[in-house]
Amino acid sequence: MKPTDSTDIYRDRHYRLWFTLGCYGLLAATVILLTVFIYLPVAWAFTKSLYQFEIGGDSQFVGLGNYREFFNDPTLWPSFGHMLFLTSFAVCVRLSMPLIVAKLIHSVRHEKWRYFYRILFLVPIVVPGVAVQLIWQGLIYADKGLLNEALMALGRGNWTHGWLSNPSTALISCAFVGFPWIGGFEVLIYYAGLSGIPDSVNEAALLEGCVGIRKFFKIDIPMVLSQLKLILMLTIIGGVQGFEGMLILTKGGPGFETTVPGLWMYYNAFSFQRMGYACAIGVLLFVLIFGLTVLNFKYFKSSEEIQAIQ
Amino acid sequence: MKKKHWYIHLVIIFFSTLTLTPFAFVINNSMRNNTEFYHKFFGLPEALGVLINAGAATFTNPAAIFETVDENDEPIVVEAREAVHYAWMRLTKSYRQSWTLIRPYMLNSILVCLVTATGVLLLGSISAYILSRYRFFGSKAIFFFIISTMMFPGVLTLVPAYLLVKSLHLLNSYWVLVLPYVAGGQVFAIFVFKSFFDGLPEDLFESARIDGAGHMQLYWNIVLPLSKPVMSVVLVMNVIGTWNNFLWPFITNTDAKYHVIASGLYVLATSVHAQNMSTLFAAYMIASIPLLIMFTYATKPFIQGVTSGAFKA
Repeated sequence: MKPTDSTDIYRDRHYRLWFTLGCYGLLAATVILLTVFIYLPVAWAFTKSLYQFEIGGDSQFVGLGNYREFFNDPTLWPSFGHMLFLTSFAVCVRLSMPLIVAKLIHSVRHEKWRYFYRILFLVPIVVPGVAVQLIWQGLIYADKGLLNEALMALGRGNWTHGWLSNPSTALISCAFVGFPWIGGFEVLIYYAGLSGIPDSVNEAALLEGCVGIRKFFKIDIPMVLSQLKLILMLTIIGGVQGFEGMLILTKGGPGFETTVPGLWMYYNAFSFQRMGYACAIGVLLFVLIFGLTVLNFKYFKSSEEIQAIQ
Repeated sequence: MKKKHWYIHLVIIFFSTLTLTPFAFVINNSMRNNTEFYHKFFGLPEALGVLINAGAATFTNPAAIFETVDENDEPIVVEAREAVHYAWMRLTKSYRQSWTLIRPYMLNSILVCLVTATGVLLLGSISAYILSRYRFFGSKAIFFFIISTMMFPGVLTLVPAYLLVKSLHLLNSYWVLVLPYVAGGQVFAIFVFKSFFDGLPEDLFESARIDGAGHMQLYWNIVLPLSKPVMSVVLVMNVIGTWNNFLWPFITNTDAKYHVIASGLYVLATSVHAQNMSTLFAAYMIASIPLLIMFTYATKPFIQGVTSGAFKA
């Protein structure tokens, strides 16, 4: 692309000035909205994390006191442990299940069927996320729910549980929400990656006798690395900061069995009115996410980069 | 590969069945009453059986007498035609009930979605067009300013953003939803639009300019028609995001008048209706209809847009 200013009229200085001002004017709304609703809260997150205050109450400067308190908080290590477990679990299933299904759909011969199957897995997207959590809570994990009733029907009545209220199953039950974890959106992204593999590569693999499972591991996975990287990053970021699911399913309970740091932040802000402390937790989670993102960009090469190196 | 074709279909259908099973149970139980749900979990709606029997009887034996119940479980003895009516009323009872409960939430959500999507598409496409096709002092810095916001996760800004809108006296209003949604949503839109506009050939603009097209005409007559597919992807993603957003409306709009569908469903499920499963399930299904309608129109451009490789890291 050539820069637009190669045209003669753009060299006139007066026109240039008014043109630039016009551009600024049109970008003003975007910039103002971002300044007010993103950059200002970001700045506040850092500054307010140094204070101890409630809404409407006095604020007291405590320096790094909130951070120090957080590291001595007895909920800290368990909640980070839960977060680590849920995030690693989500990474495992979201990198594998949709990819397997995308590969299966991609290997169907007729385009009509491939299209139909992609839509089939896309259908659950229309159900609001909150409704999905409530469905798992009220229909599947409930005392008289699908899981318990199915166990009864199979004659395993002694296996029935209060899945979300029993401390030993609450966390794993939270992780299993969404089983079999085949998001239609992820399937589409992986499918796009598989479709992007050049015919020459596929033909070469076929000639070399590299088919089936072996082709999946040796050709397909390396070729969709950039898609895997995208989903990996989204899943990690979602896992570190996500707490809506736990808020809806268990409210962090029983006890603190399913409390994650984000949920602890939420309770501190909106139940205990400890705004400064909540901001400090938010800042720490941001630092964690930021660090993981940097690591990802530094060490996890996308397929383009690998191709470039080779 | 060609020989074992049928088993691929089988595995895909197995997975899709697993994925869709919970929703099948939700639809089924939205048409059954609480007694049926709590005492006979696996089963079709009783009223459906009556509907089929009585429906058949209207053709074969219209005078047949049915001993059945009305929607309030009062026993009634009626003729076939009326039995069909009562069975239908029983099947749709929870839908009528939950519609009256969630209608205001639905309308709020639709309003917020429309305004947000309009704002995001308008601001996003104009800003992306300017940043992509024109060079001026500070354009790179502004683009960096915009795109840098992507590194701030929601968890960092949630509490301070709440403090901000509270001090702006925006709590319990539509503004508290629309303004931050447009602010945040436009970033992704600008990112996607800009990479699309960057790829448009300069010759296109050059020839239009020679024909005397101004900046507005270039944007309106060339850029907008060409970017329809990418617009529909941004639109669909934005509407899904807005429709699903639960936490922000839940904490900022505590007044029932301003509940959107996501926060409304949660409030409903933790209210006096908590044990009323059929009403809740019907509400979940009604809440899915708007996105279902959107997808029946937008599936094709959406699938093409995502499949064309707009999403890579």
